[in-house]
Amino acid sequence: MNSTMLRATVAQCKAELLRTVRNKRFVIFSVIMPVLFFFLFSNVVGSQKVGGVDFTAYYLMSMTCYGIIGASFSTFSIRMARERSLGWIRLLKITPLPSWAYIVSKIASQAIINLVIILMMFVIGGLGRQVDMSAAHWIESGLWIWIGGLSFMSLGTLFGSMRNPDAVQVLSTIVYMALSVLGGLWMPTETMSQTMQTISKLTPTYRLGQGAWNIIAGGSIDWMGVLILAIYMVVFMRISAYIMKKQEAV
Amino acid sequence: MKPAIQLTGVSKVYKEKKAVDDLTLTIAEGTVVALLGPNGAGKTTTVSMILGMNKPTKGTIKLLGDDPREQRVRDRIGAMLQDVSVIDGLKVAETIQLFRSYYQKPLALDYLLKVSNLEAERDKLATALSGGQQRRLGFALALAGDPEVIFLDEPTVGMDVTSRQLFWDTVRAMAGRGRTIVLTTHYLDEADSVADRIVVINNGRIIADGTPSEIKAETTGRVISFIAGSSVTTEALLQLPGITNVEWSGRRVKLSSGDTDSLIKLLIEKRVEMRDIEIQSGGLEDAFQALVASTNQ
Repeated sequence: MNSTMLRATVAQCKAELLRTVRNKRFVIFSVIMPVLFFFLFSNVVGSQKVGGVDFTAYYLMSMTCYGIIGASFSTFSIRMARERSLGWIRLLKITPLPSWAYIVSKIASQAIINLVIILMMFVIGGLGRQVDMSAAHWIESGLWIWIGGLSFMSLGTLFGSMRNPDAVQVLSTIVYMALSVLGGLWMPTETMSQTMQTISKLTPTYRLGQGAWNIIAGGSIDWMGVLILAIYMVVFMRISAYIMKKQEAV
Repeated sequence: MKPAIQLTGVSKVYKEKKAVDDLTLTIAEGTVVALLGPNGAGKTTTVSMILGMNKPTKGTIKLLGDDPREQRVRDRIGAMLQDVSVIDGLKVAETIQLFRSYYQKPLALDYLLKVSNLEAERDKLATALSGGQQRRLGFALALAGDPEVIFLDEPTVGMDVTSRQLFWDTVRAMAGRGRTIVLTTHYLDEADSVADRIVVINNGRIIADGTPSEIKAETTGRVISFIAGSSVTTEALLQLPGITNVEWSGRRVKLSSGDTDSLIKLLIEKRVEMRDIEIQSGGLEDAFQALVASTNQ
């Protein structure tokens, strides 16, 4: 790798960050909504316990996951669909920017964005609502959400492979909301019916949240969750690779 | 002269349709070549194959002596493509800077802003630009890497007169610096004034190849037009020798001929009813129309 490619990857990363921060949907779904919901519900529900932890800490995890998924799945898919429909990808293909640099910069910029969301939520939770956890729990849960959250980029890629950005915007928002509710990020799954709880356990959203809830309740890494998230990731990547290959062949 | 682009026996077949049919073409370094042809003639397919975006069904393509998909080749080319818009969420200067970062020896940002006439818009979001301004941004991006070979696919669509002027001045300056330029355009006067060489493509094949004046000479060349009296009909005119094409607009008739001098004498001898006679040397437009018409028959 020469210096030009390093410079190009960094510049590409910077461009992705700028595009994300300037996106209103990102600000609404990944910053304003999680913060607002967190304050609102931690206030309403108060000091009850969920699964052995304070609701406030529990809900801080839920809302952090919610914000991360919004950024990695919904906003990311729209950004991708735009790039494709604007012909931008075609133009990039004739530049010397290698495709690996493009992919690396997408993942790296998403990792930075997600890390910032986690830090923001954790600072707000710790200072604004006095969520009290051991340093190990803060770090472990943060790392879990950070790394696990990146797997939602595969779902974003799948939606982003659709041609029409307007359709992607509507569809990804609906799926994002539905998966968040179903996965118990808005309200704990304990409040759901038995059938809904069973369905919930199969969603990737639940699995991301569950991993974090489990850590702050004193549990260890949820390997079942890792496995399910990994399966989803592989399946989504395979389908989107197939779709894009078919589109290119035309 | 070293060849910048070499196509040998290149065909591209989509489903049943042959978009490009056994095309062989060599473009020397430092030339400005215009690819002309009606819609669907295979110009854009040819350009996208030269750029390595499309694989030829048959034949070989060399760009700067190498496979167009090689990174070292891409570092030395630039292109304005059709149907490519600007990216959302980035300002004009940021978009140009992003592209500059891809290349080993990029041109200066200020220079790129100047030649694309976007100095006043540098801090505007690219998506907020007008269509013509977006095309100019596309031009700045094509030049970002100081390319040796520049592809311009319908570059001036949507540009106003002033921008168009500056655009062609810059293209000429680039050509003056020994850059190879391949362009496709619908505005034939533009091709006529800027290109050293014109390649006319129809139905995926080359039907003419030469300098603008050669192309014009090869075909019908000159035109006589006049307002015809009521006795004049197409059939009667086609009886006369040397007329290759008859075109009416209202009562004005336009006759194409390889030898307008003899034709005018003949028209007068035959006492054809004429008023308001004009004799023009046919432009590239006429030559082009004649060429395409002759191969479509």
